[in-house]
Amino acid sequence: MKKNPKNLYGTASEQVFYDGRYSFIQAALEAVSQQFALDGASFYEYDEKTELLCLRLRHAFGASFEHEENLRPLSGSSAAAAIKTRQSCAASSAAGRFFYFPFKLDFFDPSGGRNAVARTGLVRLERSPRKRRFSAAEASKAGAWLRSYFKDYYKEEFFSLARRQEKTVSAITELTEVFATALRARDSFRHILAGIQTYFGFDRVRLYLIEEGNRKLKGELSADIQGQIKSISYEEIPLEAGAHRFADIVLGRSTGAFMERYKDCVLYVPLAVQGVTIGLLIVDNLLSQQRIEPAELAMLKSFGGQIALAVDNSRLFDKVEELSLYDELTKLPLRRYFNQRFQEEFYRAERFKQPLALIWADVDYFKEINDTYGHQIGDVVLKEIGRVILSNLRKIDFPCRYGGDEMVILLPQAAGAEAARLAQRLCEEISELRIAVPFSKTRELKVTLSIGISTFPQDASGVEGLLERADDALYWVKSHGRGSIALYSDVAVEKEKEKAAAGGNTDGNS
Amino acid sequence: MCCCVATKKPPHNSLLLLFLCALCASAVNIRMNIWLLSDYDPRKHLAFKSMLARFSLAFPDTETEFLVKSRKSMWESLFAHLRDPRRNPLADIIEIPQNWTELFSRLGLLSDLSGRVEPLVRRRYPGFILKELCRHDEARAFSAPWWIEAPALFCRMQALRGICADPAKELASWEGFRASLDKLSSGGRRRNFRALSCPGSSGSVSVSDVLPRMWGRRGGLFSDDFNRATFTRDETAGGIEDWLELAVSGKIELFSPDRFEHGPRPPEECAFIISSRKLPGRAGFRMLPYPGSPGSGFALVYNLAVSASSSDPDGAAAFVSWVMEPPNMEAFTESFGVFPCLKPAFEQRLQEERDSGVYRRIFSAPELMPNIMVYPTAELLLERALWNLSLKIARKDYAREDLNRELIMAQGEADYLLSLY
Repeated sequence: MKKNPKNLYGTASEQVFYDGRYSFIQAALEAVSQQFALDGASFYEYDEKTELLCLRLRHAFGASFEHEENLRPLSGSSAAAAIKTRQSCAASSAAGRFFYFPFKLDFFDPSGGRNAVARTGLVRLERSPRKRRFSAAEASKAGAWLRSYFKDYYKEEFFSLARRQEKTVSAITELTEVFATALRARDSFRHILAGIQTYFGFDRVRLYLIEEGNRKLKGELSADIQGQIKSISYEEIPLEAGAHRFADIVLGRSTGAFMERYKDCVLYVPLAVQGVTIGLLIVDNLLSQQRIEPAELAMLKSFGGQIALAVDNSRLFDKVEELSLYDELTKLPLRRYFNQRFQEEFYRAERFKQPLALIWADVDYFKEINDTYGHQIGDVVLKEIGRVILSNLRKIDFPCRYGGDEMVILLPQAAGAEAARLAQRLCEEISELRIAVPFSKTRELKVTLSIGISTFPQDASGVEGLLERADDALYWVKSHGRGSIALYSDVAVEKEKEKAAAGGNTDGNS
Repeated sequence: MCCCVATKKPPHNSLLLLFLCALCASAVNIRMNIWLLSDYDPRKHLAFKSMLARFSLAFPDTETEFLVKSRKSMWESLFAHLRDPRRNPLADIIEIPQNWTELFSRLGLLSDLSGRVEPLVRRRYPGFILKELCRHDEARAFSAPWWIEAPALFCRMQALRGICADPAKELASWEGFRASLDKLSSGGRRRNFRALSCPGSSGSVSVSDVLPRMWGRRGGLFSDDFNRATFTRDETAGGIEDWLELAVSGKIELFSPDRFEHGPRPPEECAFIISSRKLPGRAGFRMLPYPGSPGSGFALVYNLAVSASSSDPDGAAAFVSWVMEPPNMEAFTESFGVFPCLKPAFEQRLQEERDSGVYRRIFSAPELMPNIMVYPTAELLLERALWNLSLKIARKDYAREDLNRELIMAQGEADYLLSLY
């Protein structure tokens, strides 16, 4: 019946070691049953608040079993007297022969404090009514035997505490490292949640961040007890009092019975940096309904500052990275970022033999716009063009502000016809734009785009070649009236025709 | 030599033979740990112990150990394993309430037994058990139904003389049952006499106490589509209130000191016993359906599961198959007054039962607890509410609003859980 007797600590008599509080008590019940020829032995914990004896373990008929039964000792009974006076006593009734042994064991403080918490209770030794009573001598011997056995109980607590401390130390060491090294937001949020789950093992950990502008609390990630992490970006909570419990917590207005009810198995950790709340970490044991130990609460709260700092750092890191990769005006990636992605996409297209198209767009007469209306209007034009481009692309397309008024768009898995359709759509939408120019006579400005398109593998076999061909096609459009699109393949044919016509003319002339 | 041959105990069919021989082939001092759910009747543990002794005789190379865990401790151990598998290993074989299957299989703790345990392969269980076992996925089964119990009312006819002329008719409704209890309480009786005894009680009012009455009123913890919690619905709250009223009026004693001092009340000192088990040597008792049950009854099923982290899942599944063999199942269930889940054994027991008529009605289409992910947690929420109410009743500090408040809180939590899982 004894499961995996891990030799951790010993009893006075045999120096046998057991793993865990109840393994020790089970061994005590089994041994005392054998020693004193008992029919049963039960271990009760006493709850002073409710005055209930809570049966935890029982050994009877040669089998040990955990059991839950909460009963009140009869007032004035031997059991009640044993609890009250802390004196063991024997009793006999029609139900059987009993010996009550009250105990007081020191459990280590579950809140992680240094003091021990006294737990009282009763061990009941039982014999059937047909068997002999517990004589005074036997009762004394049984009492001495149990006292001697329970004397070693503190060792069990000591080893439990040692195990817990060992876990805490490794948690502190490794989590601190996780929080300190977290950089990119997406990865770092994952690491933080995974780290918390590894060491605390809550049913669920969720991270919410306050969106810029302080208008919304937005879900980021959730990690479950199996360590699976998923996005909860679909969760958006208005940051208004009364809108949601989480919003109230962030705003410091949470009260009420629900919070009181949840306090044992849910912990809300507001994440604040320099006094400013940036988000909310929620850990819960709602599925298992198990209490979050006070020591865990304290530890996680103490980590709150570090977690907040790590989250904030990673957001800042992302922001800096964004600034270095994206054009603030058009919100399009910059040339450096584009070049990197272009290489990757090109290799992919080459490897998987997929088409790849490149659009090169240029704003017609942009220099004149700047010169006539000023750079501010020029910026508005570029901003609007960026918006139109972004709103027309697929997820896999990659646009970029290549320089000045030139935009390049990479279209993976797209042939010339698809690229031409997109280019046509962009031309049309941009030609419909009306840029307000209050100080001009016309009060508004119209702009057009010229676009050149090249495709892989038809037009070029390398990155540079593809750019050159798109530029050639753009130049063709620019030199043939602007405001339209041209595919390099068509331009090449036209050029041949022009060349041939020019050759014919030359021949004729000659 | 294969121990199936050595023991000259041929398995019941070729598939099982295959399983057991697979066990034998790899069975060089195999060790299997089993966690059993604790029961108020120690005969269950003894029956299991003697079944293991038979197993050891048949398969001497396989060493088995079992540990009896309370429901709470079993729940904690399963979650402890999820939190830290290295420090908290699971047993190879675990007994669970049937409706824990979905939760723990989704949390990845249980092995799929559908192709490994013969009765599951052949689906040799009554339809009402199979329906809950495989609610979402008929192709897979993460536990094998083992035994079933159903609460019923046992009446000591002698004590009802002059109280109840036609028990079958008068005790069919809850109101009739309540009226009989009142009459029993009013008459001068012996000091030890109790009108009603519930041998399975844990001291407080618990979920298992209130569920049959709740079902009797057609209440439940969730709506039919399981989209929202319905703790506060009239039928549910009314069912709970009916049972609590028994405690408030003193018909059942909470945290009974008498029970601590003398153990469960002997049947001959009670007029009514509500029990899910057949009463041993129940001379003078008549069995009736649970009062106020419309149509069939309410049943609780317990299953055996193999943990996904078992080092020998095939061996563990073979053990489950062996346990599911009709002779083993029959002997085990008979010893503590419950029914086997295996269809042939179940039907045979129904035929042999003295009260087969009542059992046939109960088991015609019984309600089982829904095997959905959040149901076990919802039970815990209700259990906590009932504990708080029990303490209030014991302190004589209970009012109807307390029930309302507790159920509103529990329902809010259950609804929140539904939104999460």
